[in-house]
Formats: sequence, C-alpha cells, structure tokens
Amino acid sequence: MPLFENDKKNFVIFAALIIIQMILISIQVPVGSGRSHFKSAVFAVFSPLQRGAAGFARNVSDAWHDYFDLRGIRAENQKMKKEVFFLRQENKLLKDAVGFSRDSRKFEESLGRLDRSFVVARVIGVDAGNYFKSVTINKGTRDGVTNNLAVCDRKGNLVGRTIEPVSPKEACVQLVTDNDCGVSVVSDTDKIVGILSGDGQGHCRLNYVVATTRGGAVGENLLTTGFDRIYPAGLKVGKILDISEESSLFKRILVEPSFTFSELDQVAVILANLQDSF
Amino acid sequence: MRNVIEAALATVAAFLVFTLLGRISASLVLVVNVFSVLVVYYAVLKGEIFGAVLGSACGLIQDSFSLGVFGVGGLSKTVLGFLAGYISRKIHVVPFFRNLVFIFILGILELAIWLGLYSFIFSERPLMRNGLILIQPIVTALLGSLSLYLQRRIQSRKN
Repeated sequence: MPLFENDKKNFVIFAALIIIQMILISIQVPVGSGRSHFKSAVFAVFSPLQRGAAGFARNVSDAWHDYFDLRGIRAENQKMKKEVFFLRQENKLLKDAVGFSRDSRKFEESLGRLDRSFVVARVIGVDAGNYFKSVTINKGTRDGVTNNLAVCDRKGNLVGRTIEPVSPKEACVQLVTDNDCGVSVVSDTDKIVGILSGDGQGHCRLNYVVATTRGGAVGENLLTTGFDRIYPAGLKVGKILDISEESSLFKRILVEPSFTFSELDQVAVILANLQDSF
Repeated sequence: MRNVIEAALATVAAFLVFTLLGRISASLVLVVNVFSVLVVYYAVLKGEIFGAVLGSACGLIQDSFSLGVFGVGGLSKTVLGFLAGYISRKIHVVPFFRNLVFIFILGILELAIWLGLYSFIFSERPLMRNGLILIQPIVTALLGSLSLYLQRRIQSRKN
C-alpha cells in the first residue's frame, strides 16, 4: 500500500506539471496573441551561454582555417586590392550621381546618417524546433537593436527581421522562410506585387497574386516594396522557382530565398530606413 | 540538493552542446536531441518526478530558443521524463540492449507528442528534412543507453 500511495503522489505531481504546460500553451493560442515574459527571461539567462559557446567554436574554427589560409593569402590579397579599387570607383561615381541631384549639405548629412545605419552581427544559434524559422544573433539592445528591424546577409539579400525576445546582447531573427513571416514584395520584371511568406521547409511562397494577373515568370527576382514599413524597399528577397495556376482564386508561386541558410554566419541589422536618407 | 545542482550543470552542458551542434550543422539539431538524452538519463537514475521536472525545464529552455508556442517541448519532455523514470522502476531495463529498446520506444513517443502538438497548434507541417527527424529516437536511444551503461560501469568500479 505505501508503494501505491507513493505512486499516487507522483502521478499528482506529474498531472500538475502537465496542467501547467497546458496553461502555458493555451494562453498563447492563437499563435502570436501574446508575448511570454517567462520565455523572454529564459532567453535572457541562456543566450549569453550560447554566445560564449558559439564564440569558442568560432575561435577554434578560425585558428584551424587561419593556418591553411596562410598559403593562399598573397593571391587573395591581390584579388581583394583589385576589388577595393573597383568598389572605390563605384562608390565615387554613385556619390557624384546622387550629389548632382541634391543639395550638397543635405547630401553630406544623409551620408553621415548612413555611417551608423547598420550593425554587423554574428549568428550564434539556430531555432530548436525548426531551423528555417529563426536564428539568434549576438547583438541586442546595447547595440541599438530593437524588434522589427530588417536583417540582411553578406551580399545584401534579405534574411528576415528582428523579433522579441531581444536581450541587451542578443536578439532573435525571424527568417523569411518562416510560415508566419510576411514581406511585401514586387517582381523586378513584370512588377507582380504580393506577400511573401516561408513554407517552413527552406522555401517561400508568394501569396495573394490573383490567378488572372498577367506576367510573372520563373527566374524573376523579387524585391521588397517597403509598403510593410518594416523592410526597406529594394532588398533582394528571392527568385521565382515555379508558378502553378490551380482552380483557386490565387496563383501558387514557389520562391527560392536569396540567402543560403548554410552560409548564414555574419549578418547586417539595418537600424534606420535607408530610404529616408535619400 | 547535490542532485539538483548536478542536473542543473548537466542542463547547462547540454545547452552548450546544442549550440555547438547548431553551429556545426543545423541538421544535427534535428538528429541529436541532447536534452532528451539528459532527461532519460536522469529519469532512469533518479526517478519519475526528477525526470518530469527536469523534462519540463529542458523542454522550456528548448522552447525559448524556438519561435512559436512556448510549452510544446516542455510538455513532451515532461511526459518523457515521467515515463522513463516510472517504467524503469517497474520493469528491469538495466541490460544494454533492453535499455536501448526502452529508450527508443520512449523517444518515438516523445517525438509523436511533439509532432502532434506542433501540427495541431501551428496547423503546419513540421520540418522533416526527408525523414531526418525520424532518426532522432534512434540517436537518443543510442546515446542514452550508452551513457547509462558507462555510468553503471563507473559506479561498479567505485564500489
């Protein structure tokens, strides 16, 4: 009998734990209806550990690669010098082109604002449930990062936006491949406008393009429109992979995101809307 | 108290391993669920309540680093911890192969609960990566039974 009593007590504790979890789940459903402070607290406690572990792994990896990279450093140096030369020329031409159409003082002010308009961050962690949904970066409120800021990869392709939780030194980034993501985009050739969201499997879908809409071809690039007031206009988001016209009201458009998940190491968080500067 | 501190440190270590796996390759996070291994290990050694509480904690940590509903991982790992502790007290699962099968079945159950809740709440297909996620119970079973085997070997040498 005492054994049974002990079992009963254990089952009561187990049931209590299950009920707590159920309550935790139910207060958040429908998804996005509320922000969990408990979740933010756990994130704030554990994210510095993640930052440390990711930093350690990067240092070890860098030390290993540095050794091998030394061999090809001279050729790479020459190549980069050449690239810097062309980039300087391009930068000069662009400055001149914009300067002609703008008052020089205002133009200098705009350039000054651009200097601190983005923060470079490193990806320190992936989503524990589905890695195409979010990543954690090593920049937070101390660096000026808040939620709803656009995040781009090394090549300037849109990766996603910052969302809660944002701690002083770390932040969460919702990727464009997440199902709950929504980006207003336009195709570069036929100017098809739609809302892009992820499929949670590494690709995206272009939604709300009416079946009767003309144009739109496989291979067309999609750029942000800026209508959503989160993502600055003109950022490259993806490329149309497939278009199928079903009997439904909207076209079914599959999109390949421009960023490559496996190469997602360093990202840029855009702090100010660059569109406002020019 | 010593047990709690030991489990807390092990949880931190599991979190660090989870981060490192994610940095090496994101797919590894799908295949190796370090938190499940930890929960099964402690549940078998310390009992069902310890397993359930540790399962809740580990699941909620996992949920904190994931978008969406907070508590889905917590619930599935609470069930895993409780069942691992309870059943291992009722039936003899010490031999390595029996332990492997036992943890494998629990791993499947945990994954089924997680996938079920995920699909039900989000109304979307979870990330399967060509069935890669289905390897998770096998890896959990292998790592779990191996760590319990090693623990028993060390314990017997001490004695």
